[in-house]
Amino acid sequence: MKQTEILPSETYIHEPEAASKKKKRLSRTARENIIGYLFVSPWLIGFAGLTLGPLIFSLYASFTDYNITSKMNFIGLDNFKRMFTLDDLFWTSLLNTLYYVVFSVPLTTAGAILLALLLNQKVKGMKFFRTIYYLPAVLSGVAVYFLWMQLLSPSTGLVNTVLGWAGIEGPAWLFDPEWTKPALLVMKMWSVGGGMLLYLASLQGVSNEMYEAAELDGASSMQRFFYITAPMISPIIFFDVITSTIGSFQIFQEAYVMTESGNGGPANSLLFYNLHMWNNAFEIFDMGYASAMAWLLFIIVMVLTVLNLKLGKRWVHYEGGDK
Amino acid sequence: MRRSLSIFIPFVLMFAVLTGCSSGEQNVQAEKTQDGKTVVDFWSFWGSETRRPVIEKIIDDFNQSQDRIFVKHTFLPWGDIWTKNLASVAAGNPADVIINDINTVAQRAENKQVEDLSKYIDDSFKDQFYPHLWESVQYQNKPFAVPFNTDTRLLYYNKKAFKEAGLDPNKPPQTWEELEEYAKKLDIKNGSRYERIGFYPLWGSIGASSWMTNADNGAGFIEDGELKINTPNKVKALEWIAGWKERLGENTVQAFQAEFGSEQANPFIAEKVAMWVDIGTFYTQLRDYGKDIEFGVAPIPSYSKDSEHWAEGGGFVAEIPKGSDHPEEAMEFIDYLTGPEAQKYWAQKNFDNVANIKAAESVIDELTGDGQTVYQATVDNLKVTKMFPVPVEYPDYHNRINPIIDNILLGKYSPADGLRQAEKDVSKIKRE
Repeated sequence: MKQTEILPSETYIHEPEAASKKKKRLSRTARENIIGYLFVSPWLIGFAGLTLGPLIFSLYASFTDYNITSKMNFIGLDNFKRMFTLDDLFWTSLLNTLYYVVFSVPLTTAGAILLALLLNQKVKGMKFFRTIYYLPAVLSGVAVYFLWMQLLSPSTGLVNTVLGWAGIEGPAWLFDPEWTKPALLVMKMWSVGGGMLLYLASLQGVSNEMYEAAELDGASSMQRFFYITAPMISPIIFFDVITSTIGSFQIFQEAYVMTESGNGGPANSLLFYNLHMWNNAFEIFDMGYASAMAWLLFIIVMVLTVLNLKLGKRWVHYEGGDK
Repeated sequence: MRRSLSIFIPFVLMFAVLTGCSSGEQNVQAEKTQDGKTVVDFWSFWGSETRRPVIEKIIDDFNQSQDRIFVKHTFLPWGDIWTKNLASVAAGNPADVIINDINTVAQRAENKQVEDLSKYIDDSFKDQFYPHLWESVQYQNKPFAVPFNTDTRLLYYNKKAFKEAGLDPNKPPQTWEELEEYAKKLDIKNGSRYERIGFYPLWGSIGASSWMTNADNGAGFIEDGELKINTPNKVKALEWIAGWKERLGENTVQAFQAEFGSEQANPFIAEKVAMWVDIGTFYTQLRDYGKDIEFGVAPIPSYSKDSEHWAEGGGFVAEIPKGSDHPEEAMEFIDYLTGPEAQKYWAQKNFDNVANIKAAESVIDELTGDGQTVYQATVDNLKVTKMFPVPVEYPDYHNRINPIIDNILLGKYSPADGLRQAEKDVSKIKRE
């Protein structure tokens, strides 16, 4: 095949011929559309079959006593009634999750911004520091949780040993219900590298001219941060807050791995929403109830995201006008 | 030409994706071997270096013992195996035999996840097994599984430490009172720091609920559908446990616990703790890593002089997932798996307690020395071992009680208030 054949100019040469065949064949746009749909069809079929289908199924299941293998009777709102009135662990798990979201989102966001600001300085060997701080984000999953279980060990762990040097008697972390959630937050702070990278990229996109102009006007470094840096990176902050809010509501693995036999202990202090849902679905096969829980979580997250989007208009600055 | 090719590509991709999904399935579903034997799909979680060769030898023996059935073993990791089983039962394409938890057989029977085995076995079949195990596999008076292995808890004690403390190494503690008295004598303190602790009731393979049962004449939290959570003796058991923590101090307990939390150094083997509750197979650790330790075993001390040495047991069963294509062949394999020959081999190699009485007793005769003593003790102990199958009306009662027990032991509630609350919480989740 010759390269020239695929040049668009050639098709224009054949235009009259193509037009004469129009009655027999579909128009070019229609043909291109069909080809386009065919190309995305594996994804569309996947979405319909593997995501949308199960979604609708679980919505229906949430109004039934579905137990996977033998029952699926329509029971109306009974699952939701049970959730609100009979299942105390539902409330425990919801409160635990809210606690985690309320603390982890602001802390990790602020942590990532602070780190990005520090790593945006012009200091020798900065590349080395950036790599070091990003490294924890590369590690993930169960290995990290096990590592932290050792670091947080009450009497022999590194964290309490270091605290001990400063004369502070560290808490029992994962063994004391009061300290389990703070322990998870500490662990999360360690891996803010992923968010940091986003902020670092957007900080480098902030043009120097603005800082120079501000400096000429005598703006202090604080003023420069709040009047130039913060607005300029606000779209990224916004994106980060929304995604990490959703992510925090989904917390599961940490509790499943880091508590004894995955039960969310001690004293249910790490029984997060998704863990309680998982227990219902796969420990006692109460899939209908678990589906109801999943949909309620979806609604909660949806409401918060919409709220975020509405509030975002007030503080997110898009260069080149509002969007 | 070009255009037709471009239309063709997505179809090729789709075809590849769809066939990619299904070709694997066909292999799994092979019903017969090339020489015409029926394939029985067998799932277990025994993938470790010690267990896998043993189960595979049993399977080989079975495969060679007859020429109609070929058992194919699939190892699935602990945890994964249950969800995978559930999904495959729901999809109507399950394994033919699976190893599962003994205490939840009734749940699976209720939810139609396992086959009723009563049509494949006769009345005398059950006589091969320990009665408390056979009882655990019943649902509405029909067996839905066959017990495979089990465990029970014993008190291991360090005879050398006993001698040092002036105790008779052949007289282990019989009651809770003696246990406490001996423990105090076995403690070694250096200033305010403990170098050795005589005993702590929550270490080893035992938890608060076992002590509560032991105190309450062997009664679990739910007996015959009746809640027995908030009973005077269970309250007393928790008070007793809390007393140990108070005496030793929270910090001591935590420090010791953290040290052996990683399970790299067992504190009994390291002689940091002089008495230790564990299951029979703990002996293999002592045999392999604790050659210098002189130890004895005894039943768990009883609540009082008049009560039994109640211990808690668990174990696993072989069962046929609902919808198996070859239930009869599957049952034939289960029959072999739980029969005297296979059970004896399993017990010898793993030092596990097995469900088959004849197998268990013949293993005792072949063992020698400490091994024989311990194995004999575990078999004898099965008489006072209670199983706590989860009642179908209260599928997740553990999740309601355990956190409250945690809180009681942390001193947040008193035992009486906590157990009252626990009983109330559990009554709320009752299923009709």
